[in-house]
Amino acid sequence: MIKIKFLTYESVKQDSKRVFRALQADSIVLIDAKLTPGEEADLIKDTMERLDEKFSGIELSSLDPVDATGLARLRGALAEALTGKKRGFTIIGPASLVRKIKKNPQELLVYM
Amino acid sequence: MGRFSFAAFFRRLSSIFRSRGEVKIGLYGPVNSGKTTLANKICLDWMGEEMGKASVIPHETRTIQMKEKVTIKARNKSLKFNLVDTPGIATRIDYEDFLKHGLSRKAAKQRAREATKGIIEAIKWLDDMDMVLVVVDATKDPLTQVNLTILGNLDARGIPFLIVANKMDLGDHHVRKVQDAFHSYKTVGVSALAGSNMDHLYQAVVEAL
Repeated sequence: MIKIKFLTYESVKQDSKRVFRALQADSIVLIDAKLTPGEEADLIKDTMERLDEKFSGIELSSLDPVDATGLARLRGALAEALTGKKRGFTIIGPASLVRKIKKNPQELLVYM
Repeated sequence: MGRFSFAAFFRRLSSIFRSRGEVKIGLYGPVNSGKTTLANKICLDWMGEEMGKASVIPHETRTIQMKEKVTIKARNKSLKFNLVDTPGIATRIDYEDFLKHGLSRKAAKQRAREATKGIIEAIKWLDDMDMVLVVVDATKDPLTQVNLTILGNLDARGIPFLIVANKMDLGDHHVRKVQDAFHSYKTVGVSALAGSNMDHLYQAVVEAL
């Protein structure tokens, strides 16, 4: 059985351990925002600190609306500036469950 | 790199006050992309000696390695810097993968422990770099999360960088695919192992700083 846990960006920002609790319970995590590069680096660092014989790491990827142009792009940038939340979504899976996530600019394919 | 950012502005400002001898150029990239082979080639070309041991077994470099006072010359310009070879960045490390390379269980677990620490160190060192060569394996899909995270962090922190599409000596390389995937950034195709196109890389490094 595949378990997918949906988390809001705000809840992850408040308590990043929520992500690891879900991953270590063999759930795939879906967050309703694209993580910033700094947050991705922190996630990798935190993952490395938690590795053991049972938890061998993560696979992660994210999508953002890169195709937006003109007014839509401006509106998106403004929304991001006001909310501090990057549009898009992030998927994180435990390495024991997710073999790889293949990305092209507009879609993600999760291999299990 | 073409966009204005305050991070880039302040970084550039601080670099003006730094002496040239302290310039650090880091080699970052995923595991087994050829960072140490490239470091060795650069050191051989300009210092006559290698820097570290490269291996087909993943995570051979598990600590930060630095070669001080490397001077490269290209197009009547020279650049003196400290070359920093970093452990390959990964999001997963399973000690059982090392068993397939003939390591004992004990050695595999030890290697995995050291590799995790190496990745943490590599990420921590990122802010110390004045420039980064992002070494990617041109025979593989460039749109991996590790590549994207490294490039995103360099961009956000305003650290100048070049993408080095390595392993172009191999028949199935796709340097063009790397260039297309990261078209906003400068990519140089090389073979660190065969020493191909290194002059082009040296020129790009000297011009970038």
